Amino acid sequence: MGNNKKILVIDDDAQIRRVVELKLKNRGYEVLMAMNGQEGVSLIKSQQPDAVVTDIVMPKLDGQTLCKQTNPLKKQRPFLTIVMTNRISPDDRNWVKDMQDTELMEKPFSPTRLLGCIDEYFRRSES
Amino acid sequence: MKVQRIGVLLIVLCLISISIVSTTLIRYEERKRARDMVDKGRYLVSLIALHSIKDFQGEKRSFFLRTLHDYISSEGLAYCLMHDHAGELFVSLDPYGLVSDIPQDVQLRSLHMTGLTHQTFHTNHPEGTIYEFAKSVFEDGQQAGIIRLGLRLLPVSLFSMERIGLLATIAFFIFAMVPFVFFGVKLALRPLKKLGLKIENMAGKPASAKEGKKKAPAVDDLIISLDRSLGLLRKKYKELETANIALEAKKGVVCYEKKQITQILDAVQYGITITDTQENVTHMNAHMLNLVNKELGDVVNRPLSEVLDHEAILTFVAQQEGVNQAATQRHIETTFPAVAPGETFQVALSYLSDKDGSITGKVISVKNVTTQKSVDKAKHEFVAHVAHELRAPLTTIKSYNEMLMDGEIRDLETQKEFYNTINQETDRLARLIENLLNMSKIEMGSLTIDRGLIKTDAFVKDCVAAIEAPAQKKHIAVEKKLPDKWPSLVGDKELLEVAMINVLGNAVKYSPDDSTITLSLREADHTIIFDVMDQGYGISEEDLNHIFDSFYRSSDPHISEQTGSGLGLAMTSEIIRLHSGHIEVQSTPGQGTHFSIRLPREDYQLGKQ
Repeated sequence: MGNNKKILVIDDDAQIRRVVELKLKNRGYEVLMAMNGQEGVSLIKSQQPDAVVTDIVMPKLDGQTLCKQTNPLKKQRPFLTIVMTNRISPDDRNWVKDMQDTELMEKPFSPTRLLGCIDEYFRRSES
Repeated sequence: MKVQRIGVLLIVLCLISISIVSTTLIRYEERKRARDMVDKGRYLVSLIALHSIKDFQGEKRSFFLRTLHDYISSEGLAYCLMHDHAGELFVSLDPYGLVSDIPQDVQLRSLHMTGLTHQTFHTNHPEGTIYEFAKSVFEDGQQAGIIRLGLRLLPVSLFSMERIGLLATIAFFIFAMVPFVFFGVKLALRPLKKLGLKIENMAGKPASAKEGKKKAPAVDDLIISLDRSLGLLRKKYKELETANIALEAKKGVVCYEKKQITQILDAVQYGITITDTQENVTHMNAHMLNLVNKELGDVVNRPLSEVLDHEAILTFVAQQEGVNQAATQRHIETTFPAVAPGETFQVALSYLSDKDGSITGKVISVKNVTTQKSVDKAKHEFVAHVAHELRAPLTTIKSYNEMLMDGEIRDLETQKEFYNTINQETDRLARLIENLLNMSKIEMGSLTIDRGLIKTDAFVKDCVAAIEAPAQKKHIAVEKKLPDKWPSLVGDKELLEVAMINVLGNAVKYSPDDSTITLSLREADHTIIFDVMDQGYGISEEDLNHIFDSFYRSSDPHISEQTGSGLGLAMTSEIIRLHSGHIEVQSTPGQGTHFSIRLPREDYQLGKQ
């Protein structure tokens, strides 16, 4: 499983990027990484990943703006976005509700649960 | 007093009146008789003196004596003496033997005076007062002799026939007046009795109707009532006087307390407006007067709506009418843009009540909550920031640990890397908690310095060791410029290490890979100086002004990309200050930063804290 699937991890924390990268690579996914939102948007547009794991609080461009900018792209080519944040606020739930194929995940997170969430999305989209 | 007693009293009064009238009559009669006596005596002695002395010595003597003798009882003649020119007594008619009692001076005056003399003297005889008349008898121009007559006053009889009639008439009228006077007095005393009862009532003694009926109007009753009432009034007066003194004292206390309360109200940093139930302002403290820009005299006893030109507050107060009064916690937030632009005020309404719980007024308090709101905001931001900072290492620890537990990391090198990361993040978490506790202690003023002798070689070694791992990770070289002779330092080793590691850690964190950090130690002018220089991104001029503020985080991407609590340098500066030292910073963006920590050199004494 995981073959041919490209996943983009966007986080300013190198340790988080590292652990997510290892978990996804172990499953066989191809992993791309970005250190901030701006870099992330650029990679989404150029690399067309199948899933995006992004932090909210980031330099240059935050996760919410990233989602808003990339959400229109999903109409032509849907992809999953998992937004990771330290604390899910009602405000976060509101804006995420309007985004296509977007889910929230609270930190500290479980890499296994993150992987499960991605696997589940691909399973559903393939069936 | 009973009615009979008044009757007896009136009878006694009548008898006394009769006695007085009778006595007055007798006195009048006596005076009249005395006047008559004088006239009679003058006449008699003058009449006798018309005769020649010789007539009384010769044949006429016996006739003369007989005539005079008749006068003794009828006209009151007491004696008759005749002296010749030599003063020899030749006629002495003295039926009562009074001549021997005539005083010497009376006798001498009668014998030696010329003309008619009239003298009075008293004797011990029953005849009482004697009137002596004397006159010289002249013959041929020569004094031939002296005639002396003594007359006595005849007793006045009260009950002579002519007077009995008069007395009976007077007595009749007096007795006839008794009943009129009796009823007159009774009528006259009626209002007095009423007055007496009223006085008693006034004095505080309630008179029963029965008692009032039984009592007859009488002067002595009135006097007793007056006396009793006066006693009660005096007692009442004393009680009132005591109460008045107590009231005056209370008034003084109340005035003092009122003044105190006014001062206290003026001292509080709330605007306070007190109104009565009709919403007329009864008091406004100084703070509130400033907000409405008015004087106390302009607001007292005036309607709140006229005094307070603030629609939001007036609406709020009006809305509270009829609302459950226990809900005094209700409040609104508003502004006074004209007086305090940009500031926020919280308005609350509470009620004043008396002992029975009846509402007596309202209290409108206006509190400036601008600072409180900004403190609340800062507190909220602080909690969010701390939570974020705590979650970051926890996220790493949890995810790395799970990877290891799930056997996802198979090669030993990566396993070691993961264990190291978990260890570093645990240390980071511990440091963060330690920093938070220290900051809390610093803010509470309870951070204590455990002074001791610090060997600077060991101190520098420990501090450098703490940043070695992250420095190596970024290939940052740590260059040390140390003296040959290590100075000793007095202070709290743990706290100073926290301060030094914060500065060195920042140098590592905000320096690019493959750069160099220089740590130097030197001693100058009894001061130990640590210099930390890096080749990092540098700090902007704006950030330099806030670099030691708690929770300040620069917006510079090079800095904000790195994890940080915003507590490190704030705490470092406090620790250095507590050691009587100071910290300086110089920085050029793009070139690097130079931190300089200066601590006073102290001679360590055992036991000194």
